[in-house]
Amino acid sequence: MFRILKKSLKTGVVTGQHPQATQPSERLTAEAREKALPFRQSLTIREVDTGSCNACEMEMNALANPIYDIERFGVHIAASPRHADALVVTGPVTVNMERALKDVHKQTPDPKIVIALGDCAINCGMFKGSYAVTGPVERHIPVDVRIPGCPPRPAEILKVLADLRGSRSSSGQ
Amino acid sequence: MVDAITGAKQLREAFGNSIEDLPPVHGTPRLRVKKDDVPVVAHYLHTHPGLRGALSLLWAVDHRPREARYELCYLFTMADRKDWLLLCTDIHGDDRLFPSITPHIHAAKWYEREIRDMFGLIPVGHPDMRRLVRHEHWPKGSHPLKKDFRWDTVLERTQGQYAFRQIEGEGVFEVPVGPIHAGIIEPGHFRFSVAGEPIMQLEVHHFWKHRGIEKLFEGKNLADAVALAERVSGDTTVGYSLAYCQAVETLLRIDVPRRARYLRSLFLELERLHNHLGDVGAICNDTAYALAHAHCSRLKERLMQLNDRLAGSRFLRGTMTIGGVMSDVSASQQGEIVDVLDQIEKDFSELESIIFANASLTDRLETTGVLTERTAWDHGVVGVVGRASGIDQDVRRDRPFAAYDELGVKVVLYRYGDVRARLRVRMDEIHESIRLIREIRHRIPQGPLIAAPDRVPQPGEWALSAVEGWRGEILYVVMAGENGRIHRCKVRDPSFMNWPAIQWAVVGNIVPDFPLINKSFNLSYAGNDL
Repeated sequence: MFRILKKSLKTGVVTGQHPQATQPSERLTAEAREKALPFRQSLTIREVDTGSCNACEMEMNALANPIYDIERFGVHIAASPRHADALVVTGPVTVNMERALKDVHKQTPDPKIVIALGDCAINCGMFKGSYAVTGPVERHIPVDVRIPGCPPRPAEILKVLADLRGSRSSSGQ
Repeated sequence: MVDAITGAKQLREAFGNSIEDLPPVHGTPRLRVKKDDVPVVAHYLHTHPGLRGALSLLWAVDHRPREARYELCYLFTMADRKDWLLLCTDIHGDDRLFPSITPHIHAAKWYEREIRDMFGLIPVGHPDMRRLVRHEHWPKGSHPLKKDFRWDTVLERTQGQYAFRQIEGEGVFEVPVGPIHAGIIEPGHFRFSVAGEPIMQLEVHHFWKHRGIEKLFEGKNLADAVALAERVSGDTTVGYSLAYCQAVETLLRIDVPRRARYLRSLFLELERLHNHLGDVGAICNDTAYALAHAHCSRLKERLMQLNDRLAGSRFLRGTMTIGGVMSDVSASQQGEIVDVLDQIEKDFSELESIIFANASLTDRLETTGVLTERTAWDHGVVGVVGRASGIDQDVRRDRPFAAYDELGVKVVLYRYGDVRARLRVRMDEIHESIRLIREIRHRIPQGPLIAAPDRVPQPGEWALSAVEGWRGEILYVVMAGENGRIHRCKVRDPSFMNWPAIQWAVVGNIVPDFPLINKSFNLSYAGNDL
């Protein structure tokens, strides 16, 4: 018990100890901002991987670590699309995942936002044209926000999510 | 224990009529076996007490347009784990059948189903003839790795249903999970048959993420494909790109400069560190011990930020190239790495004692998800999972690559095969990786970073390479085509061997322990599905 306390005291607060996002992300459209209005206070995300190399998943997972601590901005990760306000989709849509993606989109209650995360989700990246890939996410479901990068850094994802919901700071300071 | 050359001699003595010598490929002895005799020869090689060859890789090549034949290659690792022995057989003309070795060697079962899907060759006698990579909605006759199948074919969608193995009886239920899971993880389907809480059977139905990577390699320039190799499985960026580069370097006969070899080991160990740290935390998290998870993900994030400062990529992308490395690490950067690692090691050691002081945690870990040594051996399990079950294998020691011949790796080995053993392997490997990086800093020589190739490989020439990624042994086969392009590239992730084994590790465990067992394996879906 004392060991744990000592460890926590010694570690201190690490939240926000990360380099700021430098890359200018794609500008958000007015429609996307308007769609995000109901979620200014809290946004629940369901992540769907439709064929990524799993680097984007690692960066999404990193958002939940104590350094980025996405929950402090009222952003939660839901276990089911039925609990979600936004879908974050990574990877090109493979032939085998096409049906699952459409199903998930149907299962997510309106109003909802769809975020294409990473180059593959936006334009299929290196996998463009392959027999096993059906196309980018927007070929199957309407996409509102695009976050480019291979993979985008967590700070960049955080910045877009903050912009989307109209808050000024993403660093939490 | 017998090395490959004596092993080949022994096979020749036992099966003289059906075996023909082929010239060795880069030191690996090669035997051509008559197609119908492959099962007996393979069985002998696998089970003979003196040989104990483990099937490491089974791949097919379509030699068109140069020759109208398919070739099947069976790569065995000899009992000393150092040597490879290769059996090859040809399928000529319109013949589409080959005898299955799965009834004798479990480890072949996914390979043969994969070959059936990708090439349309039928493994006669295979106990499980369902599709593997191609899901049921793929049209009949679409076999992507055949040379007459265009890489950009648009597939029609047909109807079909995967026939899961079913257990019937009073009180037996099926629990379908996936392809989309509750956490932020990759897609895959698990079908449990349960009676009450205990799992009676698990069937893994994967390949949802199949992106056609092996076909995408074909036709690319040897030098251009590094970026694609990095994206086979993103968390193993260095492991994959290094394995690919090594295969191509063997083809081009490039001698990589010593400094570059040290830097390769450095990057590979940095990758191992951040992944292992993440896994230790995630295993604790799946027992609901959030504190350890928070600390581990904090340490992991520090390493990812360090990677970003070193190479401009949190995943160390763009560091590997054919003939060497792209980015140098200066003396001051090396100092920074060692400083950060000193702090992390101290931090992590404190965490280890906190983790193992927690009785409710260790209670969840011990005797959970046991994979016995016998089952692991039968399925050809590799890497962290293998080393937790007593399979003493580590490519860094057995077939040293990069700078490991000079560094000397202490291989971590546990025997219990439960979740705790897999956690312990990772923890000990974290310390070992830190030690190796300190060693690299002491020994790294000055010198050039890249060596240039001076030849173009002949069409049909090929090379094999193995790298101990953080999950385990990554294998690459690269075969050259015309004008320095790739004719065939076979990629094998350690997960491809380990996924079938998880089906055995969960039997008898309760369903709520499955996420924990799965996490302790932490296999790649992307690398498996390709």
